[in-house]
Amino acid sequence: MTDDTQQKKTTDFTVTKREDGAIVETKQIGKYKVEVIRDKCISAASCVAIAPNVFQLDEEGIAIVISQSGDDDDTKLLAAQSCPTAAIIVTDTETGEQVWPV
Amino acid sequence: MQPPQQYIARLEDKTVHNEKFVQYKFEFTNPHSMDFIAGQYVSLKVAENGTRRSYSICSTPGIKHGFETVVDLEPAGIGCQFLERLKFGDEVSLLAPLGQFVIDTQLQEDEIILVATGSGISPFMSMILDLLQEKQDTRPISLYWGMRHVEHLFWQDEFELLSENFANFSFHPVLSRAPEEWPLCRGRVTDCLSVHQLSESPKVGYYLCGSAPMIVDVSQVLSQKGVQAEHIHHEKFY
Repeated sequence: MTDDTQQKKTTDFTVTKREDGAIVETKQIGKYKVEVIRDKCISAASCVAIAPNVFQLDEEGIAIVISQSGDDDDTKLLAAQSCPTAAIIVTDTETGEQVWPV
Repeated sequence: MQPPQQYIARLEDKTVHNEKFVQYKFEFTNPHSMDFIAGQYVSLKVAENGTRRSYSICSTPGIKHGFETVVDLEPAGIGCQFLERLKFGDEVSLLAPLGQFVIDTQLQEDEIILVATGSGISPFMSMILDLLQEKQDTRPISLYWGMRHVEHLFWQDEFELLSENFANFSFHPVLSRAPEEWPLCRGRVTDCLSVHQLSESPKVGYYLCGSAPMIVDVSQVLSQKGVQAEHIHHEKFY
C-alpha cells in the first residue's frame, strides 16, 4: 500500500494521487523508483533511518513510500540494500530494469 | 537515535565458540567511533554488488571504538562466507547504527524478560551489559535462551557470573534436544516460559529475538496470558 499511484509524469514532476484523494506534485530528483513489498517487511526500519524522506513506517509498523523524490538515488538504493529481508524493489524508470534486488 | 552512517572497520579478533557460532570483533578505522543503543545492528556489505547482511551488536555501547557480533555459521550463506574469508586486519564497509529493537524507555516497564533462540542472543548480551553494568538498572531482568544442543551453548560462564554479581539478573538456558543429565529447562522456550511463574504485573516488558516461529509462538503465549502488545518487543531473524 503506497501513496504513489502515478497519474501523470512530466520531465521534472510526477503528479500522484494519494489514498485520501489528495493530488501531490513532486519533483523527481532521480531516476530510481522504490516500492515496498509489505509481506516481506519486518519493521526493522533501516530504510527509514537511511532515507527518512522517502520511507516511513505506517500504523502497523510496515514501511511505506511517502515520496519518490525525498532523497537521492544513491540514498534510496542504499536504503533498499540495507533492508534485511530485501523488501524494497528499486527500478530504473528510464530503462524499466530492476536495480535491486539483483 | 543517531542517524546511520557509513563506517570502515577492521577485523581485530575472532572467537570460535564452537562449530556453529563465531564471535567477530571489529575496530572502527573511519570514522573512529560510533554511538549506538544496545540492541541495534550493523548492515555489513558482503559483496561488491551491494548485497548486505545485518548483524546485531553484542558488545556494550560503552565501547565506542569498535563492535562485536556473534554469527551463526550454519546457514552458510553469503554473509557467513564473507566473514569466514576475512583475515585479521581486513577492512569491511558497514552502515550503522540501525534498528529500533532497544529497551523501551517510554513505557516505564518494571521488569524485563528477554527471550532468545540461537544467535538471537547477540543483542541481549549488549542490553544486559548496558543495563547491569553501565546503567546499574535494578529492575528484575530474566534471560531465556533456547538452543538445540548443549554443545552449541556459549557465554554460560559470563551469564552465570553476571547472575552471581547482580541479584536482579537470572539466566535460563533451554535445550530442545537436551541430554538426559541436563538439569535445567528442556523443550522450547515457550515450554520454559509456561513452567516458570511469570509476573502478573501489567508492566513487564518482553523482548524476543530469534527465529520467526519462536517470535510468533511466544507472542501468542504472552497474548493469551493477557500481556499487552505494546509490551511485546521483537526482532525477527530471517
